[in-house]
Amino acid sequence: MNAAVPASLLSRRSLLRAAGLAGAAAMIPLTGCASPSGPQNGVTTLRFMQNKPEVVAYFNQVIKDFEALNPDIHVVQDFNEGNFVPGLVRNDPPDVVTRGFAQATADFVRKGIFADLSDLPVAAGIDPKMQELISSWGQYNGNEVSALPFSLAAAGVIYNRDIFEAQGVAVPTTWSGFVAACETFKAAGIAPIYGTYKDTWTLAQGMFDYVSGGSLDVADFFTRINARGARISKDAAESFSNNFGPALPKMLQLASYAQNGAASKNYADGNAAFAKGQAAMYLQGPWALSQLVSANKNIRLGSFPLPVTDNAEETKARVNVDMALSITRNTPNMAAAQRFVNYLLEPSVVNTFNEKNAAFSPLKDAPAVSNPQISGLGDSVKEGRYYQGAATYFPPSVPLNNYIQSFVYGKNGEQFLSALDDEWRRVAERTAV
Amino acid sequence: MTVSTRPEPITGAAAPTGVTPGFRKNRKSNREGFKVNWWLTALMLVASLTVLLPLYFTVAMALKSPDQIGTGTGLAWPNPMNWENFAAAYVATNFPRAFMSTAFVTVLSVLGSLACSSLVAYAIARNWNHTFFRGSFVYLLSAMFIPFPVIILPLIKQTALLGLDNPAGVVFLHVLGGISFNTLLYIAFVRSIPVELEESARMDGATTWQVFRRIIFPLLAPMNATVGIFAFLGSWNDFLLPQMMIADPALQTLPVVQMLFQGEFNTNYSLAFASYLMAMAPTLVVYILAQRWVLSGVMRGAVK
Repeated sequence: MNAAVPASLLSRRSLLRAAGLAGAAAMIPLTGCASPSGPQNGVTTLRFMQNKPEVVAYFNQVIKDFEALNPDIHVVQDFNEGNFVPGLVRNDPPDVVTRGFAQATADFVRKGIFADLSDLPVAAGIDPKMQELISSWGQYNGNEVSALPFSLAAAGVIYNRDIFEAQGVAVPTTWSGFVAACETFKAAGIAPIYGTYKDTWTLAQGMFDYVSGGSLDVADFFTRINARGARISKDAAESFSNNFGPALPKMLQLASYAQNGAASKNYADGNAAFAKGQAAMYLQGPWALSQLVSANKNIRLGSFPLPVTDNAEETKARVNVDMALSITRNTPNMAAAQRFVNYLLEPSVVNTFNEKNAAFSPLKDAPAVSNPQISGLGDSVKEGRYYQGAATYFPPSVPLNNYIQSFVYGKNGEQFLSALDDEWRRVAERTAV
Repeated sequence: MTVSTRPEPITGAAAPTGVTPGFRKNRKSNREGFKVNWWLTALMLVASLTVLLPLYFTVAMALKSPDQIGTGTGLAWPNPMNWENFAAAYVATNFPRAFMSTAFVTVLSVLGSLACSSLVAYAIARNWNHTFFRGSFVYLLSAMFIPFPVIILPLIKQTALLGLDNPAGVVFLHVLGGISFNTLLYIAFVRSIPVELEESARMDGATTWQVFRRIIFPLLAPMNATVGIFAFLGSWNDFLLPQMMIADPALQTLPVVQMLFQGEFNTNYSLAFASYLMAMAPTLVVYILAQRWVLSGVMRGAVK
């Protein structure tokens, strides 16, 4: 043992010395590349925080083009969305922000975190129905436009065109047509729908949102239930029990068409299996498309909105504002930030972005989508036949996804809906002002 | 990781004795009576899979192309191998810059933790009869009971006011956050060092600082290694603190930058794993270099 001590001391010293050198070396470049914010040599530095890591490279190009046109502005892109709230705490938030627009972002809007964008020239070019998706969550001071939609994701049923063609099945436009299609696949030994129930969110955004959105006016329902506040019970006209009941059997019917063992599959399993053609349909949004194509380059995909009634005119798509542009209210670089937002919403920028990312442009006069993977949803979006998923209206403190999962497994609809009523009332009581 | 290495002292202990000639005879007689415990060996082989299998998946995944990922059981070795994943991940994360930032945070956190915690522990252990020092030990320990996420927002506010919303602030908080646990480790060890050693140094005219620097700190070597490894792993892999504290995206650390490959609904597995592998490399190297000291620390504790 004794003999080992000097040796270990020696190498410890040399290791420490090496570590010290590495530390010193690390410090030199770091002090060099710290970029100060605010105008410097007449160049304003804008911080742009966006919420989709997968499009960082795309925005780098957009920023490059923008800087070439506006040499007095330098834009720094940040995709670390987790730093947004700390930025607010530091009183140093990014200047321009994109966020997925739902509950959480609406909270920031109601607190007046974002500046009013209604005077921006580009605001007039936005489809008012899409702007309504944002303002329906509440507006600061009752009339401010705190966010402009940049990218709209429309979700429906992703289907495998090859399997549909091989079985001679046309895209269904009614519920009975959809059921007939499922029966055809089942008879041919093909799983009609690929279910991934292990990831509960896929049940929420899939069958729960689609069926409820197709059979009732979700936005109106949540306006009424919110107005009712904590006085919600099973018997109230605004309760889940009294509104969602008719939708539930259709959810169970969808579940019965899923492949065997759906309960043990997660989203990644589903993508891999569906890409290999193990099912005809997949209740997923456009975000899954890139994953499916990366797993199988030759797969031919399409999407259609799930018909929930037998009136084809009533078929609606589930949408969410995937990216909404905002400027933080206290930014010292307001003029530059507005110029950047104006640039991002120029047709050439925003339309190209959405075309490339299987999404819909928020502009009134955007061209029809040509991407065959999502073109089946184009009519619904163009005609404004869409809704935001019911699941997105729930406060995060309600474990909705787990309730949906236990409903799909246990098939007890009454228990499911009364649990939602109870949960909703509890949260309303806690948060009542 | 630490669990799986436990079996190693057995083989590790056998090796150095073989080197010393005086022990040769001893060892030979050992070998004659030596029986292989096959059950234990089999158990260890299985246990080692808990480390080797994920490591294999990481390497295999990093070399796969997107369409190779979905096929088969995942155990198959990719053919052809996609070495360009590493290049793509290197460019996408701006690896050198993120690496330097992480190295800066880690190296200073390790050195800071070693220096601060050992000094604190020495002061407390040698003044145990003073109520103040005993109280301060309890005070430091009580910090271990505060969950970090509870205080993160006030911390962000404070560090921003002090101009520490950068890697230096992360280092500061790592050193600070580690003090309670590291001091706990050190104090137990300092107590086992005979005070007589210090007294003899005092006789020779050493000051308190010299006693610490020349006598105590070198004797703490095994514990230094343990604390150093904890501090290294903690700060090299830390995600939450840099993510929330570092305001400038250009100074962000590797774990945060690697989120680039993980969207809300889509993950670029091959690039992600290539990037994880590059980020893991220093950890593995440091671990292999430093585990000797941890093990010697374990044995010293056992003898006493």
